[in-house]
Amino acid sequence: MTLLERGATMRRRQLWLVLSLAVVASPFGTYGAEATAKFPNGPAAFASRHIAPIDEQALSRAIDRALETRWQKQSVTPAPLSDDAEFLRRVCLDVAGRIPPVSETREFLSKTDLEKRRALVDRLLASPAYANHMTDVWTELLVPEAKASFQSGFFAGDFRVWLRKEFSDGTGYDKIVRELLTVPVTSGQLAFNPGNAQTITPSAFAFVAAKDGKPENLAASASRLFLGIRLECAQCHNHPFAKWTRDEFWGMAAFFAGVQRQGNGDAIFQGTEVAGRHEIEMPGTKRTIKASFLDGRDVDWSGNASSRSKLAEWLTSRDNPYFARAAANRVWSHFFGVGFIDPVDDMGANVEASHPELLDLLADQFAAHEFDLKYLIRAITSSRAYQLSSAGGSPSTTVYRLFDRMPVRGLSAEQLYDSLVMATGLNKEAPPQQFVFANNGLRGEFLERFASQDERATDRQTSILQALTLMNGRLVDDATNVERGATLQAVADSYFLDTAGRIETLYLAALTRRPRSEELERLVPYVERGGPTLNSKKAFADVLWSLLGSAEFVFNH
Amino acid sequence: MFRSTRSLEMTRRQWLQLAAAGVAVGAPAGWMKALAADAASSPQRKRSCILLWMNGGPSQMDTFDLKPGHANGGPYKAIQTSVPGIRISEHLPKLAQLADHLALVRSMSTKEGDHGRASYFLRTGYPPQGQVQYPTLGSLVAKELADEGAELPSFVSIGPFRFLNQAAYGPGFLGHEYAPLIVGENGRGQVVRPGMNPEDAALRVKDLDAPDGIDRRTADARLGLLNPLNAEFIDSHPGGPAEAHRSAFEHAIKLMRSEGVKAFHLDTEPAPLRDAYGRNPFGQGCLLARRLIERGVPFVEVTLNSANGMQAVGWDTHQQNFEQVKRLSEVLDAGWSTLLRDLQQRGLLESTTIVWMGEFGRTPKINANAGRDHFPNAWTAVLGGGGIKGGSVIGRTSADGNTVEERAVTVPDFIATVCMALGIDPKIQNISNVGRPIRIADPAAKPITEALA
Repeated sequence: MTLLERGATMRRRQLWLVLSLAVVASPFGTYGAEATAKFPNGPAAFASRHIAPIDEQALSRAIDRALETRWQKQSVTPAPLSDDAEFLRRVCLDVAGRIPPVSETREFLSKTDLEKRRALVDRLLASPAYANHMTDVWTELLVPEAKASFQSGFFAGDFRVWLRKEFSDGTGYDKIVRELLTVPVTSGQLAFNPGNAQTITPSAFAFVAAKDGKPENLAASASRLFLGIRLECAQCHNHPFAKWTRDEFWGMAAFFAGVQRQGNGDAIFQGTEVAGRHEIEMPGTKRTIKASFLDGRDVDWSGNASSRSKLAEWLTSRDNPYFARAAANRVWSHFFGVGFIDPVDDMGANVEASHPELLDLLADQFAAHEFDLKYLIRAITSSRAYQLSSAGGSPSTTVYRLFDRMPVRGLSAEQLYDSLVMATGLNKEAPPQQFVFANNGLRGEFLERFASQDERATDRQTSILQALTLMNGRLVDDATNVERGATLQAVADSYFLDTAGRIETLYLAALTRRPRSEELERLVPYVERGGPTLNSKKAFADVLWSLLGSAEFVFNH
Repeated sequence: MFRSTRSLEMTRRQWLQLAAAGVAVGAPAGWMKALAADAASSPQRKRSCILLWMNGGPSQMDTFDLKPGHANGGPYKAIQTSVPGIRISEHLPKLAQLADHLALVRSMSTKEGDHGRASYFLRTGYPPQGQVQYPTLGSLVAKELADEGAELPSFVSIGPFRFLNQAAYGPGFLGHEYAPLIVGENGRGQVVRPGMNPEDAALRVKDLDAPDGIDRRTADARLGLLNPLNAEFIDSHPGGPAEAHRSAFEHAIKLMRSEGVKAFHLDTEPAPLRDAYGRNPFGQGCLLARRLIERGVPFVEVTLNSANGMQAVGWDTHQQNFEQVKRLSEVLDAGWSTLLRDLQQRGLLESTTIVWMGEFGRTPKINANAGRDHFPNAWTAVLGGGGIKGGSVIGRTSADGNTVEERAVTVPDFIATVCMALGIDPKIQNISNVGRPIRIADPAAKPITEALA
């Protein structure tokens, strides 16, 4: 966090203090005034709501209106609309997790159809690349431990297969979360059997294993991921800055109280569950805490549903506005690099949204459309804000809370790898299905080197080692080798194209745009002279190398 | 920072001539100090740290806290050291002669018994919890001691086996700037060039050299194409990420073309010295650590994975503990003792703190497989060199080795002690990824002042 941002946080806190004095508690159905105070910047209404669904285009127009009103109010001139090439590259990276192939780029750029941007999004959402990309993104969010620790890495294969299926089936977000929270934990059932590929069983179990089956970890993760509330600070003590108490934290953890680790902590996770248990002892005290919802609503223990399913039902309910709101904020930040509330998993504390009404609207409509992620994605990607150019800012406008210009965002390691493969025609290594003890493949090595450190996408910093890999690493070396690089060979062999046409092909492959005239003026003579080796094939390789190492290639913009 | 490189080279050459003639090792300190004066006596010389990381959790009962005569003791003998009253394992004889530089902390008491969690705890100073991404010790020290404008990175990790918990090796919330430069990991870093000894290849920086067929002229021509491309993009997209990207490339090129990277050229060292360190990844890693420290790198860690040079959790001796520990001890003894002497000869030992630890110790009770299991309750870590009061023993374990009887040392206590030896205030706060300021060492830490010089 930079000093500037810290300053902003402080200002937000101060602002909240001022605003909180003006908050008037009002009756909110079964949620008390207590709940309002907990969620100071919470949604406008708490009671069961019957929101009339509006279609994607109507929601998109509503987004435009909300943002435009603010631009006018603050006398901000938004950036111009992106051109087709800029839009194409951006939306392919955001929805499909990789840049488009040259053929698609040529076709898209040549079309004059007014609806082509919308049609493109539909096509991307229907492609396997969408499900793959969402699987990468959500695996990282839900089980980040899988990458860092072999204990939970064992289950990541099953987890990815499960997630991919849910995304390609278009399962509602609420249902995905319910499955995740209620995945069966049965003694010995999911024991890992190394070396046997048959053991892949689509399952959300890795979530429980990654949190080591501990009620407190599961509770902290669930509230952070799905409600946008960081409860964990209240795990050990009542936190001075937040309103959560230890009782509330352990009340949430008690829903997971039945989950238990089997065997000792050194072994691969195996769990068991004491059905129906919903009490937990608060560590360091003699007190037993009963499961309770964070909004203070009573839990109805009649019937024989498990405690975890009680929690899942409350958490993913349409009447729980925090669930839809946290999701809408997260999906928005996926497309803009920053949420209306940021960080996206810290919505409960004293932070106000940049556009509270718009966030509520997105949340309501998301819920009204049965938590259909594709609905939200269609609305966001056809909004004016998403289609604004990233170019033309000034160094001072690095805070994008008005969404008046698309920020430059870092790519995930997977996005970068998949884009490199797409641009260069290298053979793509599939992600290992089965857990591998030490992933020695080029892909694994590359992903490890480019793994993000959980910073904001808009704050991404290239490391020196990453720069070395982009300059000298095997992938780029293969791609720029005149014998091995497929794109390079195809370009060199395109006798029907002149030098400028071949350079254009390299640009389309790597940067998803045509070269500007001054670039051609620079590059055509370079290639025709053959660069320092006086060999024009090698000179093409030099051009491709420079494109792949450029900031324009390694960022989404 | 490289002001002194030339004279260091001279010093080393002279010392090695003497070493080869059998004179230098153990030679009177007086003239040796004078020889090494340039690197050591400069008042601006910052302190540095070498962490010797024992992957898997070394057995305290068979290294530094022997219990001869007790049923838990095992077959090893305890031998005299250069400090009367301090006895260590018979398989660490060279180190025993240098005990006056070491402080044995025999009362580590750390609570985490899982490899992944304990590695994280010992290496960051905090148990894994919630969302906070704690930086590893090397990153924390690098941030405090890094030299602006240095050609070499401020944190180098040699031969890590990060698989137990990758996050335990990362810069966490301090970010890429303090990430380790990793060499010799998992056979991956191997940069095999014709004529290069594979042993040397293993400790080179991955992707540091231009690929085959790319000579300096081509590399320059390529950079000539890249520069306007980046410049135009930054012009239209000013601010953070794009500029940081250009700057990372500039740093990488500077590193590739720096004098400093010669630190990685171990083949310039004379064979007798390389032999003394031990011709294995750990021994040569210790030699590389010295070459890096000499060039101003503030933090270097060297991992001892196994006796046979494999990437593994070698100290995790659930079976056949005594055979394994003996072989590991031989590797350790040669590497560590030569490192101490080499640093001492160069006058660098006083400014270099050396830390020896794993993620936990091992059970005093010997199990049915002649092995010892994970044991965080009472185990040993060792401090040495700069800032450390050598020849001391901190804490005491019971006769059976099961409990700490005196001065239990927690992880925060230990981390705070390392900081103080390095002249770093352990109370320094860094802003974490959750926006909360976090101290280098947990505020509850009570540094082991009696171990500090």
